[in-house]
Amino acid sequence: MIEIQRNRIDVDSIVNTVRRDDAGAIVVFLGTVRSDPDVRALDYEVYRPMALRTLAELVERAREKFGVLDMSIVHRVGRVPIGGDSVVIACAAAHRSEAFAACAWTMDEVKRIVPIWKTEAGPRKARFKSDGHRRRRASHRKVP
Amino acid sequence: MLVQVRLFATYREIVGVGQLSWTLRNGATVGQLVEAVLARYPRLSGHEDSMLLAVNHEVVRPDLVLRDGDEVALLPPVSGGDR
Repeated sequence: MIEIQRNRIDVDSIVNTVRRDDAGAIVVFLGTVRSDPDVRALDYEVYRPMALRTLAELVERAREKFGVLDMSIVHRVGRVPIGGDSVVIACAAAHRSEAFAACAWTMDEVKRIVPIWKTEAGPRKARFKSDGHRRRRASHRKVP
Repeated sequence: MLVQVRLFATYREIVGVGQLSWTLRNGATVGQLVEAVLARYPRLSGHEDSMLLAVNHEVVRPDLVLRDGDEVALLPPVSGGDR
């Protein structure tokens, strides 16, 4: 299952989408919003049709490369609070070694090529420095 | 011909909108479109080397010839490092 959603991610339901009788391992990765000074949340922006297409391609490549049995990726967009899950990957394989490897590889690729950007949301409403010359502190960076 | 230009993240903030309709001569390439956009929005200059280009949701090279109705996306770098 591939999904991009604004709502909170239900991790258990994602794991259930990859459960299979021939799987001996399911590896789950959660990307979470970490507390940093002046950061209260992260805002995620997506180019949705391209992101969905790219995520689906990654799942297919993970199948070919690692022989995984099934994989689901769900990414949250919009504002995600500190501690919230921004991305969940669940990967089922016959054995744990390929499940771990596929999950790690896929997450690296998600950060590298999926068109989703994040901005730090701080306590101040004004996002530009008051002198008008310095760039905003918050920068767009790749997920998670 | 008419194409749609999509802008995201930093580029959207610089231009002020996330989508532009752009008229081009027939046979124009993605690279020529980017040059025209940069000419109209000079504050995008300096970003062109790290800009990723996509047409109809697929990454393309600048020499791709555009067709009427194409959706062209100018994507800021999506390499996020370790964070």
